[in-house]
Amino acid sequence: MSTAAESKLLSPELLAQLERLELVTRKVFRGRMKGERRSKRKGQSVEFADFRNYVAGDDLRLLDWNLYARLDKLIIKLFLEEEDLHFYTLIDSSLSMDFGDPSKLEYAKQLSAALGFVGLIRADRVRIETINQRVGERSPVLRGRSSVWRMLQHVESIQPDEDSTTLADGVKNFCLRNAGRGVVVLISDLMDKAGYQQALRYFVSHQVDCFVIHVLSQEELEPDLQGDLKLVDCEDQDEAEITVSAPLLKKYKQTLNSFVAGAQEFCSRRGIHYLLANNQMPVQDLVAKQLRRRGLVR
Amino acid sequence: MDTLFRNSLGPTGWLLLGLVPPAIFALYFLKLKRQPIEVPSTYLWHRVIEDLHVNSLWQRLRRSLLLLLQLLMVGLAMLALLRPGWQGQALDGQRFIFLIDHSASMSATDAKDDVSRLDEAKQRVASLIEQLDSDMSAMIITFAEQPDVVQEFTNNKRLLREALDRIEPSAGQTDLRGALELADGFANPERVMDETTDQAFEVTEQQDVELYIFSDGRFPSIEDFSMGNLRPQFLPLGSFEGENLAITAFNTRRNEERPNLQQAFVQVANFSDAEQTTVVEVHLDNRLLDAAELTIPAGEVASSTFNLSGETEGSLHAKLDAPRDFNDRLSLDNEAFAILSKRSDGRVLLVTPGNTTLESALATERANRLAIVDKVSTDVLSTADFKTQAQTDFYDLIIFDQCVPEFMPQAHTLFVGRIPPIDSWKEKSPTEPIYGPQIIDWQRGHPLLNLLELGNIQIADSLQVRPPLGGRLLIDSTLGPLMAIAPRDRYEDAVLGFEIVGTEPDGAKTFNTDWPRKHSFPGFWLNVLEYFAGNAGASLTHNPPGRLVEMRVPGSAEQLEVEAPDGSRHTITPEQPGRLEYHDTSQLGVYQVREGSQVKQRFAVNLFARDESDIGLRVRKDSEDGLQVVESLAIGYVDVDAQSPTSQVRRELWKPLLIAALLVLMLEWYIYNRRVYI
Repeated sequence: MSTAAESKLLSPELLAQLERLELVTRKVFRGRMKGERRSKRKGQSVEFADFRNYVAGDDLRLLDWNLYARLDKLIIKLFLEEEDLHFYTLIDSSLSMDFGDPSKLEYAKQLSAALGFVGLIRADRVRIETINQRVGERSPVLRGRSSVWRMLQHVESIQPDEDSTTLADGVKNFCLRNAGRGVVVLISDLMDKAGYQQALRYFVSHQVDCFVIHVLSQEELEPDLQGDLKLVDCEDQDEAEITVSAPLLKKYKQTLNSFVAGAQEFCSRRGIHYLLANNQMPVQDLVAKQLRRRGLVR
Repeated sequence: MDTLFRNSLGPTGWLLLGLVPPAIFALYFLKLKRQPIEVPSTYLWHRVIEDLHVNSLWQRLRRSLLLLLQLLMVGLAMLALLRPGWQGQALDGQRFIFLIDHSASMSATDAKDDVSRLDEAKQRVASLIEQLDSDMSAMIITFAEQPDVVQEFTNNKRLLREALDRIEPSAGQTDLRGALELADGFANPERVMDETTDQAFEVTEQQDVELYIFSDGRFPSIEDFSMGNLRPQFLPLGSFEGENLAITAFNTRRNEERPNLQQAFVQVANFSDAEQTTVVEVHLDNRLLDAAELTIPAGEVASSTFNLSGETEGSLHAKLDAPRDFNDRLSLDNEAFAILSKRSDGRVLLVTPGNTTLESALATERANRLAIVDKVSTDVLSTADFKTQAQTDFYDLIIFDQCVPEFMPQAHTLFVGRIPPIDSWKEKSPTEPIYGPQIIDWQRGHPLLNLLELGNIQIADSLQVRPPLGGRLLIDSTLGPLMAIAPRDRYEDAVLGFEIVGTEPDGAKTFNTDWPRKHSFPGFWLNVLEYFAGNAGASLTHNPPGRLVEMRVPGSAEQLEVEAPDGSRHTITPEQPGRLEYHDTSQLGVYQVREGSQVKQRFAVNLFARDESDIGLRVRKDSEDGLQVVESLAIGYVDVDAQSPTSQVRRELWKPLLIAALLVLMLEWYIYNRRVYI
């Protein structure tokens, strides 16, 4: 715990708040190891699930001897298995995320650390990845409270990546890397000229419980620009010449609103949870209030 | 001076200025250097720009709005450099006095657009009033016969305009001096006269006062007037060609050859540059009596006489019927009025012990036309017959030569060599005679001594004549007064202190003076007859408008009523019974004096002023270029040059233009900076 408290990503107050939370998923996934969640798999637990005939090779320890005595049949007693949950955080580490104060990437890292912490203390499998990771490049899988330190180290090592990978490619790579079903939280600004739709469709086909946290900086929500400007895109050096005027700003806000509304609609149609986050909003508020309301944590 | 624009920039300057609008255009076509800013993504911005491109017309218009404003600003600056302006009058100063002449000649309709001069003066004053700033004050004084303050100093333009509207033309003559004195009084209200030293002290610092004189300049120069802090400007009105025919005299008199016949005499003056023929009509009580055609050379006068045979009484009215092609500019002087009164000869009684000199002086033909002179000897004074007759008002004048009656008769009297038997006369005059007095002064203005030269008369002895209170000394000598006149009820008593013909103690007649040998002697007696008994005087006296009319009215009514030519009536209470003093003679025409319903007396008010009728502006040949200019006014030692009616100060527009350019610049700056969206 002391190690986590020292990290700038998670403050002690936030940690105290997070300790009471747990990750929720509406779907039941198969875990990999023994955990605290119901799994599709039958296994060992105290909760009875079903009976089944014994076939050769079954573990004799699972035979229901009482039934054998009464019915003289070898019947195996099945119990519900409690397994861990795959919890993935996918951070958009493109250059566009490196804007704002705090930068959107920083905000995303805080958010992923907070969520990861919640997962770790509930014995879930937590993996934090970035969009720009190549297919073969895997992030460590973390489990258990003791891994908090490693998780924070990993999160802190995430830097904005100059290799521009499109959101769709990044999500595709992620899906290829991680076969395990679970909860995926995508933290991104969705500002991809190729569009975010394809990326989200990958999630849908991958059958994960997907959350999109759309992080926008204050500068994007309320641009504070004046004069004749040449806007340079930090990722592809694309230029846009504007003369700032009240109608232009008005138009920008309209466009932004329709962009956000479009993303929201796209997600809700596909069962994806969508949440718009402002980098000025404290992480604990976001986690404790917004995400709790959306059902990601409890 | 009178062009709309006046260039104030050389060709080089214009060339440089002309390059500015193309430069502005060029700058608009240059690529705007934009400040690069790195943003997370231009994703949204591109979509915004794409959306706005649909509305690019607005966008372009907004940009070109700035361009238009800049061009407008440069245009305004260029217009300001061209200095557009127009003729106007500028007011320089703080306090203004507008002196407006409303004399008869100002009614002449030779100003612009054939309006009267007075109307033009009012228009010009009105335009000056419009230009008054709020810290300027002005007053309006009119002057004709009398100056009149129409509006005192005020900065209230409405009051000034109302006062201006109140000004009416008058028929009076011009008296600028009184107006100047009035203006001076108002301009220096702080000047205090010290009674003892008769010096003026200025209490506070004097403020210059602009004096605008609106007149046609038809009046003589004014001497002995100091303008002080008045800064005069003379704005002449009218034209040089004053086409005008005027009746300059109209009266009735007795035919020289046939004393019973009355005649009307009309004199017409032609003030135009060409010979004119006109018809003069004479009406009696609105009935045409006679008409005559007169041909008058340019600048001359012509006269005509009308016989009034059979006509006894009434109001005479002479009218000029100007030729059709003649544009008579002043109509006031085309009419004249006179009174035809019943000819009742004056009756004079001469009581004398025998005085051939005096008798022959009263027996001239001229004297006979004036009065019927009866002669009686001093013996009759004591008869009852005389005493009763003396009380009946029968005689107009009784001359007591070297004798005195027991009591004063009901008539005017003239005592020669005696003091009247009234205490008020006797108390004042010493009984001792004076010997060899030399006449040193006499009242030339008095009708009795009118046109007489008395300085060369030698007198052996005389009584000193001192009139009672209310009397007037007429002749003064080295040793004492020799003649005086004093009123008595409704009569007047004149006393000549020295006898004409003295009687020695032995009875021999001697000349007491050499006066009978002088020209002035018969003249004096004619004056006496005319003054005391001359009944035709009413017709001969000329009453100019606006002046006091003094006349005798028969009877002793307490109240008299005067009916003006326009029918309005005024009730007058005479100060002395039988004498009327009437002021309100501003109208031309016949005034009737009534007692009850009975017309007692009439008098006519006529213009008869050459200065007013000669309406052309006075011309001075300019020695340098031979141009005709208006004669300047001479006031005191100052010659006030006539301001040309047209060459006034140029009013220029460049200041408001530059201010407009500045406003446009500020508007452009605001639009650019605040991104005002149209």
